[in-house]
Amino acid sequence: MRNRTFPTLALVFVLALVACTPNVDTSPSASDPVEPSGSEVAANSPDASAAPSDAPAAPCAAESSQEDPIMEGVEEGAEISFWTYFLSPTFDEFILCTIARFEEAYPGVTVNWEDHQATYLDDYRNSINSDTQPDVANLSNNEGWVREFAQAGALLNLTDNAPQEIIDQYFPNLFADNLVDDDSFQFPWYQSIAVELINTRIYEDAGLDPAEFPTAIDELPALCQTIKDETGTLCDIRLTVTDYLSQMTYEGGVDVMNEDQTEFTFDSPEAVEWLQMYVDMVAAGTVDTDALTTALDRVALLIFSAGQAAFYQTGPQLIRVVKDNNPDLYENLALAPLPLGKSGVTQPTSMAISVKADTEFPNASMALAAFFTGPRAMLDFAKIVPVYPSTPAAFDDPFFSEEPELIEDSARPLAREIIENQQNILPPIPEKADVNDIVRQAVEAALFADVPAQEALSDAVEQANALIR
Amino acid sequence: MTRRFAFTPYLFLAPALALVATFVLYPILAVVFYSFTDFDIITSPEWVGIDNYQRLIGDPTFWKALTNSAVYLVVTPTVIVLSIMLAIVVNRRLRGISLFRALYFVPAVSGSIAIGISWRWIFERNGMLNSALISTGVISEPVQWLTDPDYVLPIAMLLTVWAGVGYYAVIFLAGLQNIPEELYDAARIDGCNRFQKHWHVSLPGLRPQIVFVAVISSLAALKVFDEIYVLTNHTGGVLESGTTIVFYLWRQAFVLSNAGYASAIAIALLLATLVFSIGLVRVLERGEAT
Repeated sequence: MRNRTFPTLALVFVLALVACTPNVDTSPSASDPVEPSGSEVAANSPDASAAPSDAPAAPCAAESSQEDPIMEGVEEGAEISFWTYFLSPTFDEFILCTIARFEEAYPGVTVNWEDHQATYLDDYRNSINSDTQPDVANLSNNEGWVREFAQAGALLNLTDNAPQEIIDQYFPNLFADNLVDDDSFQFPWYQSIAVELINTRIYEDAGLDPAEFPTAIDELPALCQTIKDETGTLCDIRLTVTDYLSQMTYEGGVDVMNEDQTEFTFDSPEAVEWLQMYVDMVAAGTVDTDALTTALDRVALLIFSAGQAAFYQTGPQLIRVVKDNNPDLYENLALAPLPLGKSGVTQPTSMAISVKADTEFPNASMALAAFFTGPRAMLDFAKIVPVYPSTPAAFDDPFFSEEPELIEDSARPLAREIIENQQNILPPIPEKADVNDIVRQAVEAALFADVPAQEALSDAVEQANALIR
Repeated sequence: MTRRFAFTPYLFLAPALALVATFVLYPILAVVFYSFTDFDIITSPEWVGIDNYQRLIGDPTFWKALTNSAVYLVVTPTVIVLSIMLAIVVNRRLRGISLFRALYFVPAVSGSIAIGISWRWIFERNGMLNSALISTGVISEPVQWLTDPDYVLPIAMLLTVWAGVGYYAVIFLAGLQNIPEELYDAARIDGCNRFQKHWHVSLPGLRPQIVFVAVISSLAALKVFDEIYVLTNHTGGVLESGTTIVFYLWRQAFVLSNAGYASAIAIALLLATLVFSIGLVRVLERGEAT
């Protein structure tokens, strides 16, 4: 028996490897902005994530129609640390070229760049606690990171400290995203826009015309019912489990707090109507509840890319996932604008760059943040990945007015108008994570435990108000 | 007569003691301290006395998580019974038995996340289980197993049992191979059939292994996290149906940034585990004495 030990162990090892290899999911979650392999990006999630396109990249190009923003008063000999989120190694060339241009524009200033990935948020929180916070950091606006760290006093007030000409380079609605006490703590970086991807085969089998996709959220229940009745397919739609308050604000037109911001009011008739819409869809069995309640964009995306759903809300950059996973479906794709909720506006889906509150080099740090978010760098970035600039000037480049050839680029000519009209209408929410968790439990009680929507939301409001009193 | 204090042993122990103090003792003491504070990881902890513990008592999700963890302990007797049966089956000299032993050990050396993802593929709406049930006519429409509160915990427990049986069977197999063959011969002469032979010889002979497996598998069951995290897409399942105590601790600390409250949950888990382990060992030792 003994002489069989080694071959047996070797076999176990090989089998374990075989068993593990296809199952290991190294792709980032819905809240991850960029997957290193570039095959998955979450635009439906609040992050404006990026995946590389096939377009020829020229990040180190000497020529550009756009200029880099230059600031006065940058501290000589400054050495600043800079963290990005899930951008390496795919975008190393773009980042290193931009840093090289920055260091050339500000001789003597040194940038130490680090890319953090799955543990980014934990790393950043720990860095604040251990006094190793980077001078400049890539934060997500939509995940609420900017507001969380600004409220904790960890970020520099850019409304007060940044030069006006730098502030003026951004779309005003984006610079005003996630204000804290009417002040901005971020320079908006790369943007995404959400669209509806339509599987024309299922859609047409249901007797529907992709060109007439609903323009309002409250048309979705009837649409899902038709699709289920005609094709047996369930709708692949998601609740934003990490931010219900935001979703009910945009979709349901709900005022989640009173005007004084002293009490929660998300048990209003508008909120009940919003929740009831989902309760009815679950009761009618027209939605995939796994996709509906997942915290991961990937789950719902894979259902769509497997050809098992009629439509899915995401960013155009994610069409690449469909193209890679299911070329047949890619040939049968159509795009439609996002149906609007009762608020009438869509939420900005942006990444941001912020500066440490007590950085030793505030001007150099702001200069670097402005440089990366400026029109030149953003144009370079948009040429290698379907994301969009936060500065109107960058859109003046012919790249944005050219007729796109690929379906994934078809939103490009409309991007400026969409981005310009996005608005963050969610007020600052005290104890936001805990309140969202209370709402999550209320929504689940209504969806899966037959608790009336009004009762579930009123109980949640009572708990949330107790939390902030 | 005075004894001379010897420094040398302590000198040799010092590196290990320093490591234990840094990576075990200090974190435990820090968690005890944080459990009495309001701590969001970003800002300095603020002393709140026993507030976190008072909150625990009135927190229905905590009790739900504790109940789920207690229910999860059903895994322990199940895994013991199945592992012993498997060990008995493979404790034979048959052609190709080494390959079979290697195969059932594969889940033990596979990553828990990888196993969880492959199990998701089985139980998803368009997964293998629904396909099999529909094709055999058992159901007409797919069941959404992973968002049905009645199924989430049982599926996770089934996964734990499946992944653990191979590992624990190896322990029982080693125990079986240490039981003298003469005892089986004597049992056979006394007229025992195959079942009686294992009941009267194998099981008493495996008692040390049963105690060991009972303790480590129940501790593992109380600390279950990976299976829940993957199967429920990081949510804990609808209506907290799969939320165990460690999953709830993780959510409080790293999703909701309530590290102080999470520390109080950790202390409650520590105490529960300690009491359970001592109780379990005493019960099993008492059985041994009789």
